[in-house]
Amino acid sequence: MTRPTPKEIKAIADVAGVPVDTDVATRIANSIGPAFEGFAPVAGTLPFDLEPATFLLVQAAKNNEKTAK
Amino acid sequence: MNVHQMSTEPALMSLTSVAKAIAQKRLSSREATQSCLDRIAQWQPRLNAFMAIEAEQALAAADAADAAQAKGKVTGALHGVPLAHKDMYYDAGKVVTCGSKIRRDYVATTTSTALQRLKDAGTVRLGSLQMAEFAYGPTGHNSHYGAVHNPWAFDHITGGSSSGSGAAVAARLTFAALGSDTGGSIRMPAHFCGVTGLKTTVGRISRAGAMPLSQSLDTVGPLARSAQDCALLLALMAGADPEDTTAVAGPVPDYTAAAQQSIKGLTVGVPTAFYVDDLDAEVARILDETIAVLKREGAHVVQVELPDQRQLTAACQLVLATEAAAFHKRWLIERPQDYGPQVLMRLQNGLAIPGVLYLEAMRWRGPALSAHLAAVAGVDAVIAPVAPVAAPTIAESDVGNSPDAEAVIQRLTRFTRPINYLGLPSLSIPAGFTANGLPVGMQLIGRSFDEAMLLRIGAAFQRATDFHDRVPELP
Repeated sequence: MTRPTPKEIKAIADVAGVPVDTDVATRIANSIGPAFEGFAPVAGTLPFDLEPATFLLVQAAKNNEKTAK
Repeated sequence: MNVHQMSTEPALMSLTSVAKAIAQKRLSSREATQSCLDRIAQWQPRLNAFMAIEAEQALAAADAADAAQAKGKVTGALHGVPLAHKDMYYDAGKVVTCGSKIRRDYVATTTSTALQRLKDAGTVRLGSLQMAEFAYGPTGHNSHYGAVHNPWAFDHITGGSSSGSGAAVAARLTFAALGSDTGGSIRMPAHFCGVTGLKTTVGRISRAGAMPLSQSLDTVGPLARSAQDCALLLALMAGADPEDTTAVAGPVPDYTAAAQQSIKGLTVGVPTAFYVDDLDAEVARILDETIAVLKREGAHVVQVELPDQRQLTAACQLVLATEAAAFHKRWLIERPQDYGPQVLMRLQNGLAIPGVLYLEAMRWRGPALSAHLAAVAGVDAVIAPVAPVAAPTIAESDVGNSPDAEAVIQRLTRFTRPINYLGLPSLSIPAGFTANGLPVGMQLIGRSFDEAMLLRIGAAFQRATDFHDRVPELP
């Protein structure tokens, strides 16, 4: 996964219903690009049977405790 | 700076002490409230910490509290204690600006659950506190209402987004204040202003009636003068709420009792990387000194190897930016000109994130938390700096919507955002001062819903040090 280009951002923003000009699209690309790159090792690697609600299960799990010294 | 533990000025007392003094009729609510108002009058012109000061109403409420007490009617654990909070907690009938031009005249029609629980405990409203516009900024700048100034050095930032809360608690203008923490907004001002701030576990305190920024990451919590005071406030606010189904049910631990326990035999972990990389030399020194105090108090200190925190930071940014843009989409269409430049820029960032990527970031949250908990299985808490530096100046951090603004923001918040993504609790405690007198905080990071452990360690550290008791003085 690579960071989006200003051209791609303009298209996405148009579809979202909040059009932005080229300068803003360039600024967005610079701002959000590092997040795309930082998440790249994870994106596209997650197993099929994984829902966002798994977070709540882990939060509440019994093993959410200190286990050993 | 001064240590004012035995001062006769009521505003300098801790929340716990002033509540006890009022309960025992050694101090009236009017005396406590007037003392805060006197300090507000002195400090507000220098700090810009308050959004609104409601002196007459506060004194009337204080008199009513005193009259009720005289008749034997004590409302709760904070009867007659004056407080002010970040101006994003809805209080029916009151203007709640959310630090914005868009909501400059918005009158709340409901009262937030967290605020209502503090009101039910008997608190008196002093007014409302400044904040970053829509809680979306880590420095304390606000293009509509002006920057909040650090009480320890007026030309330095307070941190944000709970900028007024940090400054007002540090200068002893209020005994405590509510903040909110979505990417570091309680811990940053606590660190930069030298106060104690508790970012709670996602689900620990109801968010009903609190302005939303990111429904997955938002948390409510206090900034106060000590871990003991945070424990008192958390105990009053925590627990289930029919108005917010994400607030977890189940018993609320005895936080104040936990804060009185020894830390002898506990194990505290120090990360081997990320949180100890590229630290300012004085922050690194203070981390070492904090570890030494914990050891002296009987804790074991070991190294812990955490999963890659850079991925957590990235995931946090994807979730936060998307959810914030979604909340604000209508105003982004109808009123873009009414946002400050930096907040508009950051909200626009969310427009560029595809839905599938956002959902991947949400789906990864469970495994990421699981991996973190496995890494810290042998420790009771992790200690780390809140930020790699002490407070920069207002001028040098005034980056607006410049091309490098997001990079500056990310550098300041890189130690706080991973914790928000994992939804974990974290307690920021004053841990020392730089050579030029700026406070430095350290964060204790715990397991989900284990705020009690953090308060226990933080309170023990504060029994052994006096950083939290130091008070800035007007020149």
